[in-house]
Amino acid sequence: MNKIILPGEKVSDKPEQMPGTYIHDGKTYADVISLYDEEGKKSVPLEGMYLPRAEDYIVGVVCDVRFAGYNINIAPSFNAFLSGRESRDKFELGDVVFAKIAEVDEVNSVALTDARRLTGGKMIEVSPVKIPRVIGKKNSMVNMIIDSTKSEVYIGRNGRIWMSGGDIELTVRAIQKVEQEAHVSGLTDRVKKFLEDEAESE
Amino acid sequence: MTEKEKPELFVHGKRLDGRTVEDLRPLKIQAGVLNSADGSAFVQWGNNKVLAGVYGPRECIPKHDSDPYKAVLKCRYNMAPFCSSGEHSRSGPSRRSTELSKVIREVFEGLILTDKYPKTMIEIYIEVLQSDGGTRCAAVTAAAVALADAGIPMRDMVAAVASGKIQEHIVADLGKDEDNYGQSDFPVAVSWRDKEILLFQMDGLLTRQQFEHALNLSISTVEKVKVLQKEALLRSFEEKNGSPRVNLNL
Repeated sequence: MNKIILPGEKVSDKPEQMPGTYIHDGKTYADVISLYDEEGKKSVPLEGMYLPRAEDYIVGVVCDVRFAGYNINIAPSFNAFLSGRESRDKFELGDVVFAKIAEVDEVNSVALTDARRLTGGKMIEVSPVKIPRVIGKKNSMVNMIIDSTKSEVYIGRNGRIWMSGGDIELTVRAIQKVEQEAHVSGLTDRVKKFLEDEAESE
Repeated sequence: MTEKEKPELFVHGKRLDGRTVEDLRPLKIQAGVLNSADGSAFVQWGNNKVLAGVYGPRECIPKHDSDPYKAVLKCRYNMAPFCSSGEHSRSGPSRRSTELSKVIREVFEGLILTDKYPKTMIEIYIEVLQSDGGTRCAAVTAAAVALADAGIPMRDMVAAVASGKIQEHIVADLGKDEDNYGQSDFPVAVSWRDKEILLFQMDGLLTRQQFEHALNLSISTVEKVKVLQKEALLRSFEEKNGSPRVNLNL
């Protein structure tokens, strides 16, 4: 059974590393409003900002071009740095890029690498805490959406999703459905049905 | 005002509005009422109407306020010019609102895990639309719900209530007349889990016994506020996500 827990509620009597929790006196407590799975003893945050982690892929927007590289906006008021040496392409102000986080230091300065430009297309934002559901287990959710809509989709862990080609409008609606119903069980089946129904109606 | 003109605040075990010593005024809390704020809450507490909006963590402006190790918390408590009959008739900062902004900020500095978001700021805006005594407690209560609604990481939640002394009786949740004509007013904010005291102010005189009694009364009354805060957050979440299968753990 799932239940909603609020900041300060106990998640576990043991110290455990989980998103949206903190450890105090050897016990784990929630720090944001979360969904707690009593059988699996797992807590999933329902609200929250993006906290950058190394190896995450993000979708960002170039917001400053400097001599040594680029400042790339990855969340509201959160910029990361992409060194000019780390990228073969040249970017311009306003370019949308897909990049990997190379490292995050102790004061949350972020260095990016493996950047590539995304041209054309459409970018939407969803809550960063819902991104794991949009991706699904072993990419199952996003692959299902792509198979049905034939769009090209890039998902950033920071909550930004870029897409191009295919039925963009349907892709957006499917992703929004996932975001809205992320915590209700049987999500994959419902999204599958939604996509099938849409395909039939055309 | 002389002794004679004071209204009778406590008659036959009942207060002005018919409450007993430990009753709260009617309290209604709603979470997520504003679209453009990251988190928000509206509290109607008796005749108090308090709106809280929360932003952040976002880029710290002005830059020199920012802290490379943690998020900076900013708080503004403001009374609308129309919130009461004349006493607060000019908008803008006053001695009183500056003080309340400070004490409310300090409540949340003890709760928000600011080191998760260095170099940013978190803003809490509290607007008192209508005031009727106990607005600082309503403001803390509203701001806590708004912060949880915004998904800002917090160690614990907080609720607040004032108790005080009217005609030698210790009572919970003072109304405006009880505050103005009573003997003592004593607002307390208490965290949900650890029962930590995060705000503590006192006005008037209490003996040691009365003080202990009032503090215990506040701590037990806060539980009622806590239940409503929790309900408000769960309700708002249900509405936002339209989920039928989640157990409302009230």
